[in-house]
Amino acid sequence: MAAIAGTGTGAEPATPLARRWVKLSGHHLGKGQILHSPSGAWHCGRGGGVMAAAVGMAALCRRLTAALRLSGARPGPTAAGLPGLTLNPLHKNLVKVEPVHQLKFLHTSLSRRGLEEFFDDPKNWGEKTVKSGDAWNIKQLRAKSSEDLHKLWYVLLKEKNMLLTLEQESKRQLKPMPSPERLEKVEKSMKNIDLVVKEREIALRLLQTGHEKPVPGEWRHDFLGRTYWYTYKEWPIPWYLNKKHKKRRFYYLRHVNHFIRLRLEKFLRRKARKQNLERTRRKVLERKFPHLAAKSQSQQ
Amino acid sequence: MRLSALLCAGRLRIPPGYRHGTWRPETAAAQRRNPPGQRRNKIFVEPIAREDWKVFRGDTVQVLVGKDAGKQAMVTQVVRARNWVVVEGLNTHYRYVNRTAKYAGTYIASEAPLLLSQISLVDPEDRKPTEVEWRYTEEGERVRVSLRSGRIIPLPLRERRDGIVPEQWIDGPKDTTVKDALEKTYSPSLKTFEEEIMDAMGIVETRRPKKSYWY
Repeated sequence: MAAIAGTGTGAEPATPLARRWVKLSGHHLGKGQILHSPSGAWHCGRGGGVMAAAVGMAALCRRLTAALRLSGARPGPTAAGLPGLTLNPLHKNLVKVEPVHQLKFLHTSLSRRGLEEFFDDPKNWGEKTVKSGDAWNIKQLRAKSSEDLHKLWYVLLKEKNMLLTLEQESKRQLKPMPSPERLEKVEKSMKNIDLVVKEREIALRLLQTGHEKPVPGEWRHDFLGRTYWYTYKEWPIPWYLNKKHKKRRFYYLRHVNHFIRLRLEKFLRRKARKQNLERTRRKVLERKFPHLAAKSQSQQ
Repeated sequence: MRLSALLCAGRLRIPPGYRHGTWRPETAAAQRRNPPGQRRNKIFVEPIAREDWKVFRGDTVQVLVGKDAGKQAMVTQVVRARNWVVVEGLNTHYRYVNRTAKYAGTYIASEAPLLLSQISLVDPEDRKPTEVEWRYTEEGERVRVSLRSGRIIPLPLRERRDGIVPEQWIDGPKDTTVKDALEKTYSPSLKTFEEEIMDAMGIVETRRPKKSYWY
């Protein structure tokens, strides 16, 4: 399943502790943690956050092992109860532990639960239907703060992982999945969260810059004479050093005019054909249902 | 707001020559009867605007034409693409279902769809067929009004697809309470989503982005 934080997406299984960190799902981000994302664009987990979180977790575990190596601490059997680790802030009964000196700048969160979170409550195992409430409405989500949306996203992600596991298992056992509408509700809620965040981002950008789109662009021709919206891309080198980009042609030569004319003719013929078809269909409808003809007459 | 409206589409694509039956387009039966590349004669259907549609599932209607003319029953299915209404127990023909090599099959009555012109909505008190029009009440609510007597025909109760009855709902362990869901925690600020999350989690970004070129 693509939704689960992938094991080994760039993580080097250096020590047992590192491997364990990578297996966690991406939502255990505690206080004071610096999130790394080698792609350069660093966002804290919304939208494509799973991959970023997974890579972030991998980078984090590298730092953690580095820090432990430096300070001389060894991963012991009490890793689950290591001081300096706060549980994730999503649950109401949060357990905060004091930071220890050697892990001064590293606050990481470790969930006490393991793979059980990929499965539903054991009471629901074997049931034919499982009761579930409505999806989150856009109106309700618009009233929530960014922190709440961020937390809700990860809660929904974990639920989606659980439902996808259930779906796959039902396919494997050739049985119907109990209450598949839960998956649709979760996906709808996640889409709504994404929309709300995008709306806020666009509003802020419009205020600050006057632009709606995050990436600038312009209308350009291609070598076939077609006009299209070209979005700017981010490059590490300037255009005059970019050999591949310099080979691209954003203009067309004189011999292409003939083909532009042919294309235009094709488009106009298609449009005329569609209009004629609509007119003939309307005539047939008026013949079959005479009151429509009378209505259109009275309207005109 | 405009972004939300744009991203609403994206479901099953119905090809232009699709012939609608009484099955939903995503079911196996419908897919079987409409294989890709099939071209059938066009069926002309009287175009009725979406807002002018008057008959809904659960309404009581009277059949005006056919074998069961004059009888009233509830609507079980509506197919707007063909102006069809399937009425429970009326306009039936008989067929065998679940036929196998050994078993002849069960003989059941199956209802045939009726066109809108062969149906009439029924006045709630008279229980006689009437012409109906959409009108607005003084409160501004859009209702169906019987033209003969002026009585309002109430809309039938619409059941939710997941079977939830809001009045009888009890929250489960994973459900948010109504109070929590409606609570407003948003305070508009000039920070982006990412910046707000970083503030809340105490993440400090000290790296400087490398020089990049946009073109």
